[in-house]
Amino acid sequence: MATEKVRAEITGTVWKIVSQPGQQLAEEDTILIMESMKMEIPVIAPVKGTLASLLVKEGQEVSEGQDVAVIET
Amino acid sequence: MAFEKHVAEHERRKAHALAMGGAERLAKQKAQGRLNARERIERLFDAGTFLEIGMFARSDRREEWDRTPADGKVCGYGRIAGREAAVVSHDITVKSASSSPINVRKMGHMRRTALANGMPLVLLNESSGARIPDTMGAIGTGTLGQDPTQFVRMREIPYVSAVLGPAFGTACWFTQLSDFVAMRKDAQLAISSPRVTEIAIRQKIDPQELAGWRMQAEVVGKVDYGVDTDEEAIDLLKKFLSYLPSHHNEMPPRAAVPAGADEGSRGLLELVPEDRAKVYDMRKVAAAICDPGSVFPLKDRFARTAFTALGRIDGQVVGILASNPMFKAGAMDPDSCDKATAFLVLCDSFNIPIVILVDTPGFLIGVEGERRKAPGKVINMMSALQMCSVPKFSIVMRKSYGQAYLNMGGTRNTDEMLAWYSADVGFMDPNVGVNVVYGVKREDDPKRFEELKQEIQRDSSAYDLAGIFSAVAVIDPRESRQWLSRLLEVHQKRPTKGVGRHLMGGWPTTF
Repeated sequence: MATEKVRAEITGTVWKIVSQPGQQLAEEDTILIMESMKMEIPVIAPVKGTLASLLVKEGQEVSEGQDVAVIET
Repeated sequence: MAFEKHVAEHERRKAHALAMGGAERLAKQKAQGRLNARERIERLFDAGTFLEIGMFARSDRREEWDRTPADGKVCGYGRIAGREAAVVSHDITVKSASSSPINVRKMGHMRRTALANGMPLVLLNESSGARIPDTMGAIGTGTLGQDPTQFVRMREIPYVSAVLGPAFGTACWFTQLSDFVAMRKDAQLAISSPRVTEIAIRQKIDPQELAGWRMQAEVVGKVDYGVDTDEEAIDLLKKFLSYLPSHHNEMPPRAAVPAGADEGSRGLLELVPEDRAKVYDMRKVAAAICDPGSVFPLKDRFARTAFTALGRIDGQVVGILASNPMFKAGAMDPDSCDKATAFLVLCDSFNIPIVILVDTPGFLIGVEGERRKAPGKVINMMSALQMCSVPKFSIVMRKSYGQAYLNMGGTRNTDEMLAWYSADVGFMDPNVGVNVVYGVKREDDPKRFEELKQEIQRDSSAYDLAGIFSAVAVIDPRESRQWLSRLLEVHQKRPTKGVGRHLMGGWPTTF
């Protein structure tokens, strides 16, 4: 089974975790929501699969390009 | 029967050409779930309209005559939804559809005839690259390059490509020249194959990383769609062409207006959040404004802060360019500028009016952007927009700040700029502007920060924009479609009948 790392596209803070490990995701389902530039910006699944793990917690600061989750495809 | 011997010989030769690389290779192709070169043409053209050109062409090497039917590239003319087009369909069962002096001559003939007669060129790509040993040595390589206009692209006609297997060399080059590309997810697109590349640079190569569809669709941005089957790829080429004119001196075809076409626009107040901190998917806004089912995204997996799509309003083709707040809050980056530039050039070259939907906090600035030539890319996009001579309309929906306001059609950079009553325009995001102008941070003095933010936000409303007659109207979002529909009618009255000046026809096909 292949894995796909999900990266944050923008620097900001994890505001809310929306999906939990083990959950089935369709492409473009929201995994978590970041706060950046005073806006709530979703991090979405780039591919369909199962959310294998979350690599960040709510409140955590995240940099652009940082891995935030892993999807098993 | 008269000419009996000729008839028999003619039929034998035709059967030989139609048998392509032989039953065994064709069976292998079929077992892999792939159509062969001729089946692909059947899928492409209206039934019974294919006229084959160059059926009896073969390798110029005598010892290969019997093994090179059509010399590995099946060419001809046919109709797509009643309109003529030219096709080059690579036949992987004949010498891996490698490029030879004869089949390159065939390709050149198709390209020149398509150009001369104003019809699209369709490339069904699957080729290992240059043929060996034909191109070996000075004589082999020096024989190439007989056509000094082979790679000139003035966008007089659309080029579309399907990448249906390995596509190296000429197949890769013509894909780069194309306006639209659909690629099988198991195909490969690169200068050379992973094997040749590995040998050349003495490094292990991941074929998907070098030449896979996600690389091409998400990182490079050349491929518009990744698909599972040949049929899907070919159908996408036909769909793209349904939005385009056959050539640059005619208008795109009009389609019937579906029933209930005005209903989507009425739901716009529910699609776009009033709270500025909330984002939304601009693709849904485009779908609500255009005729139902007509929005056809281009490069949708690449540089997603910019959304580009063809669509129809009242049956008339339009190009939608938008910032998409769902990705990076809609802030434009160097890749988004490239994507926008390529799209503006496409629309202007083929007489497609442009609709710009704006909700952007500006350009993403920083060291990485400068490294990636952000200033040049911002100005490429701006130049492209100003050089577009097709009708251009913009709608400022929520935010539009700084230079991005201009790049997204602000003031006279579109023919008519509309503003939703929720529009907010200024030199930069007020939250950043307070610190920049007054040196006050929210965390140091929240009360003072809010006062200064109010000051910066003063005179930034839609009505202020209309008050100086930069916006020609302030509208209710639900009226967007009707406004655009009427403006399209008005701006088609120009004496050119909508045919643009095509000042960017010769711009590069990759930025």
